Amino acid sequence: MAAVDLPPPGVAGRPGTGPGPGVITVDTGGGCSLRVFDAGLACCGVEVAAALRRGGAVATATSGQQLNVFIVAGTVTDKLAPYVLEAFRDTPLPRRVLSFGACANSGGPYWDSYCVTKGVDQFIPVDVYVPGCPPRPEALLAGLTLVLRAEE
Amino acid sequence: MGAGVTAGTPADGLPARSRGVIALLEENCTVCMLCARECPDWCIYIESHQEPVPGAEYGGAGDPARAPAGRGRQRVRNVLDRFAIDFSLCMYCGICVEACPYDALFWSPEFSYAETDIAALTHEQGRLREWMWTVPPPPAHDQGQRPPQD
Amino acid sequence: MEPEEIIATAGNGLPPEVGCEADHRGVMLRVPPEHWLAALAFARERLDCDFFDWLTAVDEVDQGFSVVVHVYSLAGRHHVLLATPLPRSSPRLPTATGIYRGAAWHERETHEMFGIGFDGHPHLAPLLLPDGFEGHPLRKDFALAARAAKEWPGAKEPGERGVPGEPGERGAPGERGVPRARRRGPPHVPDGWGPA
Repeated sequence: MAAVDLPPPGVAGRPGTGPGPGVITVDTGGGCSLRVFDAGLACCGVEVAAALRRGGAVATATSGQQLNVFIVAGTVTDKLAPYVLEAFRDTPLPRRVLSFGACANSGGPYWDSYCVTKGVDQFIPVDVYVPGCPPRPEALLAGLTLVLRAEE
Repeated sequence: MGAGVTAGTPADGLPARSRGVIALLEENCTVCMLCARECPDWCIYIESHQEPVPGAEYGGAGDPARAPAGRGRQRVRNVLDRFAIDFSLCMYCGICVEACPYDALFWSPEFSYAETDIAALTHEQGRLREWMWTVPPPPAHDQGQRPPQD
Repeated sequence: MEPEEIIATAGNGLPPEVGCEADHRGVMLRVPPEHWLAALAFARERLDCDFFDWLTAVDEVDQGFSVVVHVYSLAGRHHVLLATPLPRSSPRLPTATGIYRGAAWHERETHEMFGIGFDGHPHLAPLLLPDGFEGHPLRKDFALAARAAKEWPGAKEPGERGVPGEPGERGAPGERGVPRARRRGPPHVPDGWGPA
C-alpha cells in the first residue's frame, strides 16, 4: 500500500457561527453586567467553561455600565503570545484582564520551559490574578468580584 | 448559587482533602528545608539562622552523657526568619506537604485569594498561619483503607 | 501477528544488519541508517503496519542520536518500533514521508528540537518554536535559562544565614556556615547551570 495523502487541516465553519462570549450577570441592584472573553488555552479553560456554563452571581456592583473582561486561562507559549495579544487588542473597551491559573500568572509549573511565557503580564496589563492549578470555577467568580471591586 | 453571594465557599461542602491553599504551623517547623528542596516549582522561600539554646550544652550540667571534664559544645537550634510560598508559581502538587517530616504544612480548601498585584500572591509567615485556622480536621478513613499506623 | 512471526518475517525480508528484539510491548527493529527507508517500507507492506503513530529522536549523549518510529498494525494488532542511530555531528536521515505521509509534522518537530536533517522533506520549517529561536531545546546540552537564572531556594543548609555561596555570619556560638565545596545543587539540574 502506498502513502495516503489527506487534505490539509482547515477551519470549519465561518466566523460568527460559533458560541459567543459568555455573559455573567450581576445579581445585585447595580445591574452591571460583565461580558467575558475567554482565551481558554489549556486545562484552565475547562474550569472557566464550567464557571461560564453554570453562571452565577458576582457580588457588589454599583455602576450600571458594561465591562468586558478578557480572561487568559492556560499556558501561554512564546509562539502563541502574539495571537493572545491580538485577541486582547480585539476586546472592546472598557476592558479588564483577568489572569486565571498559575500558568497565566507566572508560567506556573512550566516556569523553566524553553518556550513558555512566564506569565501573561509580560506583554499585556493584568488587573486581577487568580491563583490555582487549576482554580475552581468558583474562584473565577471570586476573581470577577475583585474586578468589580477594583472599579469602585 | 445564592443571590449576591460569592458562590461555593468551603462551607458549601467541598470534597475532603480539597487542595485550596497551603498553611504553615510554625511551631512544628524545624527548618529542615525539605519542602523548599523538593518543591518542583522552587516557590518556597526559607530564611533562617541558628541560635544557642540556653542551658543546654553537650556535656554540660544537664547532659546525662556528660564529658568528664570541661564544658561541651553549645547546643543550637534553627530559628525561622522567613517562610514564604509564592502562589503565583505553586502548582498545588502537595509534594511539600507530603515531604514535611514534622507535619508543619497542611492543606486548606480555601480558594478565594485572588489579587490585583502579583507580588501579593506570595504569602508570608503571618498569612500562612492565618490559613491554619481554615484547615479542616483530618477526614475519616475511606472504606477498606489500611488502618493508621499510630 | 505474534512477535515470533514478525521476527521470522523480518529475518527473511530485511538485511541481516537489522536487529530484532521482542518484549511485552512489541517488536523493536534496530536499523542502520542506510536501510532506514527499506525497513519502513517493509513495516508498512510486509508487516501490515498501516498506522503511523509517532517519530521522534533520543539524545544518547555519547552514542549520538537515535531516531525512533512507532507504527501499529490495525488488522494484526501488533506494535513495531524502528530505531536508527545517527552520529552527533551533522545527523541526517532520508524522510519517511514517502512511505508514511503522517511523518511530515513529526519530522519537522524532530528537526527543530534536535537539529536532525531529513533529506527530501517537502517543508522542513519549524513547527512549534517561535521565529528566531536559537538552539535545539531537546538536546541534553541545552541549558534551561530559567533554572540557570533563578537562585534555588533549597541551596541553604538548615539554619544557615546569609546569601548562599557567601560565608554565613558567625552569630551565636556554635553556629556554622557550610563550605562551598560541600554545597548540594538542586535536583536534576546539571552542574554548571547555576548563577555564576
